[in-house]
Amino acid sequence: MKINPVVEKELKTTMRGWRAPLLISLYLGFLLLVIYLYFLANDQLYTHGLQSFNPRVAINAFNTLAFFQLLLLLFITPILTGGAISSERERQTLDLLLCTSFSTYKVVLGKIFVSIANILLLITASLPIMGIVFMFGGVEISNLILLFFFYIITALMLGSLGVFYSTIFKKTIVSIVMSYLTIGLLTFGTYIIMALFYFFFDGFRTEPKYHELVAFLFANPLFGFGTVIEETASNSSVFGALVILSKGDFAAKIIIKSWMINLGFDVLFSALLIFLSARRLKHVK
Amino acid sequence: MLIINNLVKNYGKFKAVDNLSLEIGKGHIYGFVGANGAGKTTTMKIVAGLLKPTSGSVVVAGMDILKYPESYKNKIGYMPDFFGVYDDLKVPEYMDFYAGVYGIEKSQRAKLTDELLELVNLTEKKDFYVDNLSRGMKQRLCLARSLIHNPELLILDEPASGLDPKARVEMKEVLKELKDLGKTIIISSHILPELAELCTSIGIIEKGKMVVSGTIEEIMQKTSQKRVIRVKVLSELEGAVKILKEQPSIGTVNVHNDYLEADFHGTNENMAEILKTAIKNEIPVVSFTEVDRNIESVFMHLIGGEGNEN
Repeated sequence: MKINPVVEKELKTTMRGWRAPLLISLYLGFLLLVIYLYFLANDQLYTHGLQSFNPRVAINAFNTLAFFQLLLLLFITPILTGGAISSERERQTLDLLLCTSFSTYKVVLGKIFVSIANILLLITASLPIMGIVFMFGGVEISNLILLFFFYIITALMLGSLGVFYSTIFKKTIVSIVMSYLTIGLLTFGTYIIMALFYFFFDGFRTEPKYHELVAFLFANPLFGFGTVIEETASNSSVFGALVILSKGDFAAKIIIKSWMINLGFDVLFSALLIFLSARRLKHVK
Repeated sequence: MLIINNLVKNYGKFKAVDNLSLEIGKGHIYGFVGANGAGKTTTMKIVAGLLKPTSGSVVVAGMDILKYPESYKNKIGYMPDFFGVYDDLKVPEYMDFYAGVYGIEKSQRAKLTDELLELVNLTEKKDFYVDNLSRGMKQRLCLARSLIHNPELLILDEPASGLDPKARVEMKEVLKELKDLGKTIIISSHILPELAELCTSIGIIEKGKMVVSGTIEEIMQKTSQKRVIRVKVLSELEGAVKILKEQPSIGTVNVHNDYLEADFHGTNENMAEILKTAIKNEIPVVSFTEVDRNIESVFMHLIGGEGNEN
């Protein structure tokens, strides 16, 4: 099997430098800090015996870690992919690639694959930290698999977005900023648009139905995340509110869940971005 | 091997390449000569598939580059005037990456890399990171990279630019080896004597137009119908121009900083007569000579040198 040379080169050079170990250390350090502060805030660090142990806290710790991992994903992926093409342009290596018969699709897919591989590395490295919550029980392995599947497809969309902007803008920093703006629009912007809509047209009198939530939030990663953690979230916690915003009703039984819709959007949007990125690279002036 | 027909490239109203045509046969080395901004790089980028022509056609090894925009690229090797390298790769890894890009089997890559590094005299730098190579070595590495898929046509845009004299000589030696290997090459350069030594034919381009094209002998013949005289004066430059322009055997007069160059179509007697007239009119002539014809002077004359045409 032939490995995409872009993937081979990028993986080699990424792992060779000091940046990869530093990124992994910072990532894990941040997650450790989150879990430490969480247990500290819930008075679970200095307990002795089972009397003061609250299993709900352990399950919520899983949700907290999962949520912060998603936030890190939203934050890190644009940095990993924002320079995918623009850095080639900045160091004058892009022309040397484009004057070959190597397909621009392979260039784009290679860059996205590398970003997903880097995200996978971070997620895998975080497994021992996630494993802490398994000591307390209440979280099943299927919850973890679904969560990782959600992360990977979300990373595909975020990576495609970063590469797309990287083909448009000459400077890496501009493509990173544009990626953040788009992610901001997808996550917080869609909630704001929905809130404004219900404020002006409904005066917040009725609770939005599931199909209405889908109409506004299908592109929002937090909307998808809400049903990924629905089995581990309790109605009274902050994650319960996220579940409600993803289902309309906490107890509702929905077949096509919000994560399926959101990931469906991610796949289609990624395909469009990959197509546009490859076209833009191929297009000679 | 390469046929360019009526090539035009416009940037808005600016014509970077203006109806340019040329033909390069298999195994020929074609020198592309012109001042900065004459349109050499634009033409080469079009042939390399990095720019789209406004009109005209380019055929490489029988393939129209607009009809076969991807597959024809296997036939060309391109080395731009300015390029970057992946500093964080070692020399063989750099070559391996481009071999992969061209779809060369992994099993063949090491041998191919060794052969090409030997060709460009970089064998002893095999364990180095690309970052640690000198400018000249990077240029030679880029040349090796452009040869990795054994292209039929090599497009080299100013391969010796920015190099010190030693590195230039080394680059010239490599190019001579490529010539001996029978490669078809189109090469642009400012160093005309070097081109004259390497190239089987040259084309002089000015303001996007091909001024003259052919073998060096043909060009010398074409332009030698016009002899050129150079007149250096202490002062009275304007007066000297006036007198020269009044002579029926004088064509175009080019004014340089402290001398004049004029196209001359007459006999030696006519030339003596012009000198006599200048002295009679009290022009302080310091020297009055016929310009020795070499490719550099032909180029300077054809593009009007650094002076103003009168």
